[in-house]
This record gives sequence, structure tokens and C-alpha cells, in this order.
Amino acid sequence: MRRVLYIWLPQLPLDLRIRKQDPRLDAPFAIISEIKNAWRITHLNETGKQAGLTFGLSLPDARAICPTLLTEPSDRTREDALLRALWRWADALSPWVSPDPPDGLFLDITGCAHLFGGEKEMGEFAQTRLSDMQITSNIGIADTKTAAWALARYSSTDIQIARAGQTKEALSHVPLEGLRLDPKLSSSLRRTGLKTIGQLSDIKSGELSRRFGLSLTKSLSATLGYAPDPVSPKSADTLYAARMTLPDPIGFKDDLLNVLERLTASVCRRLKGDAKGARRYYLTVRCVDTGDHTLQIGFARPSYEKAAIIQQFERPLDELKIEFGADWFRLKAAHIEPIQPFQISLDQHKQAEGDTSRVISTLGNRLGFDRVRQFMPVQSHLPEREFVQVEAIDRREAVIWRPVPRERPIRLFNQSERLVVLEPGRPPKRFQWRKSVYSTYKAKGPERLSSEWWQEGGGAVRDYWQIQTESGPRFWLLTYPGSDEPIWYFAGRFP
Amino acid sequence: MSVTDLINRRDVGTFASMRLRAQDKLCLAEPISLAKGRVHEVTGGSADMFAVLAASRLRGPIIWIGRSREINSLSPSGLQGFIDPARMILIECISRREVLWAAEQSLGASCAQCVIIELSSGPNLRESRRLQIASEEGGGIGLILVSGRVQTSACETRWHCEPSKTGQNIWDWSLTKNRKGELGTWRVQWSNPLKRGGAYETGVIHLAAATAA
Repeated sequence: MRRVLYIWLPQLPLDLRIRKQDPRLDAPFAIISEIKNAWRITHLNETGKQAGLTFGLSLPDARAICPTLLTEPSDRTREDALLRALWRWADALSPWVSPDPPDGLFLDITGCAHLFGGEKEMGEFAQTRLSDMQITSNIGIADTKTAAWALARYSSTDIQIARAGQTKEALSHVPLEGLRLDPKLSSSLRRTGLKTIGQLSDIKSGELSRRFGLSLTKSLSATLGYAPDPVSPKSADTLYAARMTLPDPIGFKDDLLNVLERLTASVCRRLKGDAKGARRYYLTVRCVDTGDHTLQIGFARPSYEKAAIIQQFERPLDELKIEFGADWFRLKAAHIEPIQPFQISLDQHKQAEGDTSRVISTLGNRLGFDRVRQFMPVQSHLPEREFVQVEAIDRREAVIWRPVPRERPIRLFNQSERLVVLEPGRPPKRFQWRKSVYSTYKAKGPERLSSEWWQEGGGAVRDYWQIQTESGPRFWLLTYPGSDEPIWYFAGRFP
Repeated sequence: MSVTDLINRRDVGTFASMRLRAQDKLCLAEPISLAKGRVHEVTGGSADMFAVLAASRLRGPIIWIGRSREINSLSPSGLQGFIDPARMILIECISRREVLWAAEQSLGASCAQCVIIELSSGPNLRESRRLQIASEEGGGIGLILVSGRVQTSACETRWHCEPSKTGQNIWDWSLTKNRKGELGTWRVQWSNPLKRGGAYETGVIHLAAATAA
């Protein structure tokens, strides 16, 4: 028989602030979020409740009731991060954990509870550990997921246990919202006078499904354990990070590099063991006076090479102003990818590839990765839309360039420059561009390109002319047909 | 030997050039050739085509370094008749200092067989020596496209390239400075035996006419 433990974290966003020792929490404080175009209270601290506020109250109403109320919009990213941390922590209880965002964790504790001395003791252990971390929790233990969920949320005690095989009895007084139904369905059930799960389970399922659809009977049978509803385990992805706290702040470059070397050694050893590499590394340096500074480096290829990481961090560390020293460091690897090792001596091609990515990394870390780019082809017939430049660090696989049917210049001027026409004609017989005067020797054209009407701002129809000048250079001139006095632009230069 | 020592030493070229054999040359068309492990200057209206043709005969990535105006005006749809645009790595810099730094870094890497550097005015003696030393280390060819004035520099050769009006893909190349060898002027024509586009096999550079300087 499966046993499932559900940990409900009823005030996770508030706990987040409590853990940070937010001084605002002494006064009425609420977490708000936008629900159906109105800011409503979703979490409330004790002082707020005493001031007469309730959940779901809109912000203007709440302010009218309690003018001293302080609020903050909910920050899903930070809350999710905390939940993920707890998800990793829950490994201590059971190896079979899956998160239930935004504020819960499912644990399959089949065969685990005896390690803690029983289910009750296990629940107490979890709750004590969580309250050590200043996190409020409610725990439900039952045979099925939804039953544990309902017990954790809709019971008066902190830990509620439904004994094995007695789910139906334990849930008989739980309101039917405990089935995790669609809100519309549960409100229509309430309208018929059904209020608890016990009332529902007494009715024949055929009648229920005829009246309310199959989804109700499905969730009812899953809750009561008639249909399988397993906890699908997901292990939190491993974090490749290391941190170091020092008793005294340090500031000399050698000391910093020493710390960095130890951090990299630890992170790289783990990366190497898993045959993974990271494209980005973040180093957080907490200075005693100015707070946290995060330095970032990137690599064109996933890497776990200690020397390369230290070398790339040297420059940003040099630029960091540490006046009174720093005493806390954390190195984190991000953009983790598997690494395929190769034999250096035999594979010269791979070696050259590695060398190229090293150059890209070096240049990108100093200039910025947005300034190291490569060309990518795009499907378009307009000359300026036939290609784009992408960051070289992002390009993974080789690109195939298809042959172009038309002759195109090697230099293309996106903001076409206007020509000064000295001797008019179609194309102009003599013109001036960038302080030089050219006269037409031969001309080929026009090549008429229609606009991309499906694009916004596709532009007008254009005529392109290839001009061979007397002095040698071949130019690409552009004009928009249809006007009496054509204006000529310089569009590009041929080889 | 520190970098300053390397720059200040008078016999630039001996340290690493011992490793560079005499045949380490890139032959564009007999007798036009470029020495590897050296930096060359190119001026004139079709200097970029000179660099592109040289790059088409080398393997590996082509690192093109310049200011944003030059980098953003490059059009791969035109260049792909000569080289595979996937080989190109573009480095956009915002100052001359950055251009030179990026050039030095790229030339020093052994993967970079061809580094093309766009500068508004030519490198001076100090700058070009640094580049020269870096390219000796890497063994690749550095091509500096100078759009403005040239200065006295430690570059191996200086070329002046202009397009010719006599036809497509015909250029006049003249060698105006050469540290080891003779000067000359050539009219060259490029033709690819295969159809244009998609075929990145080296095209043939014909000597149309040669005149003594």
C-alpha cells in the first residue's frame, strides 16, 4: 500500500520575508497579487489578521480597513526558488519527491516512515526541521495524493494522518474542495447541497457522472484510492556551486585568486565527475562594506577547465573595487551541458575547434558576447533581410549557406545613403558619393524587388541598378520607382 | 621575455621566424604570395576583396575585426561567392584600442589562420610590431585594411588594390612595400570554375597583365 505525505507551506511568501528578518512584518503586512484585474491579498501576517483583514480582500478595501497596512506584490521567482530549495531538502525524508507549485511538496513515504519511528514521528520531524528554518507547514499523510493534500489543507491539526485503508472515513468531513475540483464544478455541487467528500462518496458514481460529468467521479476514485494516482518523482537538478565564508575579510589579489582556485576546484571536480561542462560561471563576492557583487564570465563551449575559469575571472576581479575586503564567496556554474571528451593528440580538427572557442570566449568576456557574432542565413528576397548576425557563443551546429541566384554586393549599406546626382539619367550619368565623383561606364538593371507585404513596414517597391563606374568600382544604386524626380541611394558595393 | 622586451628588441622577426620555414607562404597566384606568420597592410578601394581572396585559400575561421559601421556593412550573400560565410567570426569593437587588442588576441591563437583587421588609419610602428609578434606566435596571416592614411609600420608588405573597369572580378594589385622581395603591379582576374555560390573551392586567380613597378 502506498503512503503519501503532503507538506503544505501555507505562508511561503511571508516565510521568505521572515527568514530575511524583514522589519515590516511587525506591522500589518500582506502579500498581494493581481487576480482578475484587481490587486487582492493572498497572504497575511498575524497582526494583519488581528486588524480585521481577510484573504481575498481587494487592496483599496484593505487600505480603508487598515490604513497602516504595508503590502508587497508576490514574487513568484523567489518563492519558486525557495520551494526548489525545500524540494532538495525533502530528499532527507524520502527519495520520492515531487513539487506541487506554488506551495506544496508530495512525498511518497512508502517504506520510509519506520526510519523515523513511524508516520507521526516522521511528520513531527519534518515539521520541526521546517520550523527551524522559520517555515510554517501543515502535513497530511494518507494513501493517495489528493487525500493527503486535502488533509493537510482542510484539517484543524498541524499533522493529520489517515490510517492505511481508512481514507474514506478520514475524509468524510473534509469539504469537497479537498478533491481539487474545477471551481465551477465545486460551486455547482455546493448549489445542490453537497458540502463534504463524505456526502459525495455515498452517492452512486453512475448518478454522479450523469449529473456532473466523468471528471468528478474520476477525481473521487483517485482520491479514495480506487484508481491509481502515483507521485511522479522528479529530482531537483543538481546545483554546481560552491561557497566559502572566511573568518576575516580579504582583499589582496593573491588571496582572492586562492579562494577562487579552491571554489573552482570543487565545482569543476563535480562537473567533471558528471561529464558536464558549464557555459557561464557566476562569482558572487560579498564585500563587507558594499554588499554583493556578481561577476560573470562565459565560454563558447561548455567547459570545466579550472585554469580557463580562473584566467577569465582574473580581469573582472581586478576591476572590482574591494576597499575593506570581502568575506563571502560563491561560485556557481550555469548553462550546464554534457561534454564529449576527445583525444587531443589524435584529433587535430577538434583541437582547432577548441582553440576557436577559446578565442571567442576571451574576446567575448572582454568585449561582451553580443559583439562577437556570426552570420546566419534567413529566408528572404530582400537583400538586407537575407542574413542576420547571431552571437557566436549561441551557435551550436554548422550552418549551410544555400547559393544565391542573384549577384549581391559584398558591402551593403543598410541606411542607404543619398547620392548627389550631378548629371541626371536613368541611372545617373555622373554622381557624387562620400566626397568622390563617379561617372557611369556601364549599367545593368533594374532589378525590381517588391516589398514583403506580410511584414510590417515592408516598404515600397525598389529598383536596384548595378553601375560600373569609369574609375573602376562597381556600385549598387537604389531608387524607388513611380516618382517624377527619382531620388537615388547608394545601396552597396560589389567586389 | 616580457612583452615590452619583445617590442623593444630591434630584430623583430628572428625569434619565432626560426620556426617559420621559407615555404610558409600563401601563394595567391604565381608570383604573388603572402608570408605566413606576418602582418600585411592593404589599402585602396577593393582592399577587402584582397583579404577575402587570401582568406579563401586558407582553412579555419576568418576573424574579421572592425568598428560597427564596417562590421555591419558586410554582406554574406555577396561574400559567399568567394568564401563560406559560416567561417566568419565578426568582432565588433567601439574604439581603435579595442580593435588592436582583439587583433592581437586573435592573431596569437593558432586556430586563426586569417585575421582581417579594419583600421581607419594604419598602425604605427609600435602597434604593428605588437601585431607582428602576435602573428608570429599564432602562425596565421594578419591583413590590415587601411581606409585612411598609412604610417611607417613593421608590416611585411603593403598592397594597394583597386577594382578595374574592364570587367567583373578584375582588380589591379600593386605591391608598394616589401621587406623581403621585389615590388610590382599586377592585374588579376578571379574566376571560379564552378557556378557562383555554394562552391567554396578556391577559385583561380589569373594574372591578366603584369607591369614592373
